[in-house]
Amino acid sequence: MKSTSDYTQYADEHLIRLIARSQEAALVELYDRYNRLVFSLALSIVNDRATAEEITLDVFMRVWQKADTYRADQARVSTWLTHIARHHAIDILRRRSVRPDHAAVNWEDVTFKPQSPEQDPQEVVELSLRRERVHAALARLPADQKQALILAYFAGHTQSQIAEILKQPLGTIKTRLRLALQKLRQFLAEEQASHEKSAEPHSAYNMTEEE
Amino acid sequence: MFEDTHVLDVLPAYALGSLETEEAGRVEAHLLSCSICRSEADSLRAVAEELAFAAPLAAPSPELRGRLVQRVRSGRSQQPAAALAPKRPFIERLLPAWGVVSLFLIVALVGFNFILWQRLDQLEFTTAAGMRAVPLSPADSASPATGFVLISADGEDGALVVDGLAPLGEDRQYQLWLIRNGQRTSGALFSTDEKNYGGTRIRAPLSLLEYSAVEITIEPAGGSPEPTGAEVLGGPLRKP
Repeated sequence: MKSTSDYTQYADEHLIRLIARSQEAALVELYDRYNRLVFSLALSIVNDRATAEEITLDVFMRVWQKADTYRADQARVSTWLTHIARHHAIDILRRRSVRPDHAAVNWEDVTFKPQSPEQDPQEVVELSLRRERVHAALARLPADQKQALILAYFAGHTQSQIAEILKQPLGTIKTRLRLALQKLRQFLAEEQASHEKSAEPHSAYNMTEEE
Repeated sequence: MFEDTHVLDVLPAYALGSLETEEAGRVEAHLLSCSICRSEADSLRAVAEELAFAAPLAAPSPELRGRLVQRVRSGRSQQPAAALAPKRPFIERLLPAWGVVSLFLIVALVGFNFILWQRLDQLEFTTAAGMRAVPLSPADSASPATGFVLISADGEDGALVVDGLAPLGEDRQYQLWLIRNGQRTSGALFSTDEKNYGGTRIRAPLSLLEYSAVEITIEPAGGSPEPTGAEVLGGPLRKP
């Protein structure tokens, strides 16, 4: 049997194919790549480390059991993982019927903070870039839109529930959510374009600045 | 008619999963036939999925990796995690019997009788354990085909039972498609026997609770990446 280190060069989709053939080391490699992403998301939703760890285990066990059903043309592997994690975590929240206070996470701190390699030595570069882009895009949203977005995505609340929590008319919340996601799309595209521009050879200053 | 009107304004909330169930159902019905809204929904969903990266970065305990390996090795997840509801109450036990099981046995195991089966085309029912049986209807109203999809309470397991579908030649098979946001994902490939009965386990990348409808089409043996044949049976998995 190959050692885990042999799998580090494989693309995510190839790992999934190997997992579908019950190659345990491929699952471990996928776990090494994405456990922090999955755990961070689960923790932000349930606000409890032990439950977030169980959710993380469940997500990777689901991949182990259902890798043969993955379709690369419908979602990236990372998106598949976070999708499963989010729905599982929100399902647990709903069954508990008590939602954590999302003020427990300081969402106002969701701003652009480039993470140095020392802070995050294991996370692959692409994930770090996506994280930076999302944080930068979110930081540009008006606070009330960001708040509605977070209550929808991280707490799994419906529009009516958000209106009730924020004591705002339903129409206001509908508008906030619509604008929030539309603007987020625009800002993410701009962040992507900005990154591509800064990655061009003549922009060596920007590349070395973060190192 | 709602179906005839674009739903672009509510697609952001739909992509975030924050529409009420009834409205989400109407949106999904529209997406099935509208490529403009479907394309916008795909785009917004991709944006919504990126929000996973907004979560403050945290790491699980180093022991979790070992626990994963242990769970894989110990009977390949016979023990579900504490956070999950008990899985596979009986679908799993039911499935090995597909080759010989009669519809009577299936219905008996579910806890209902033949009288109820005869009413299944009008009736969706839920067992005490939360498992749902969703009836399917033929695309051609003159067809005798009928069937139902069984979905476990947590949506992790599903099975299909059909009746009235004639066996196909060796070169063709029936294929079940799960529909979500207008996208069709293969959920099962199956054949029927000389009594026109058939059954199979449904396998999907996501929880079955996330799909809005199913379709069964006739495809070349081995299945197709997307439907190529006409629909013979299908129906919504959620109440409109």
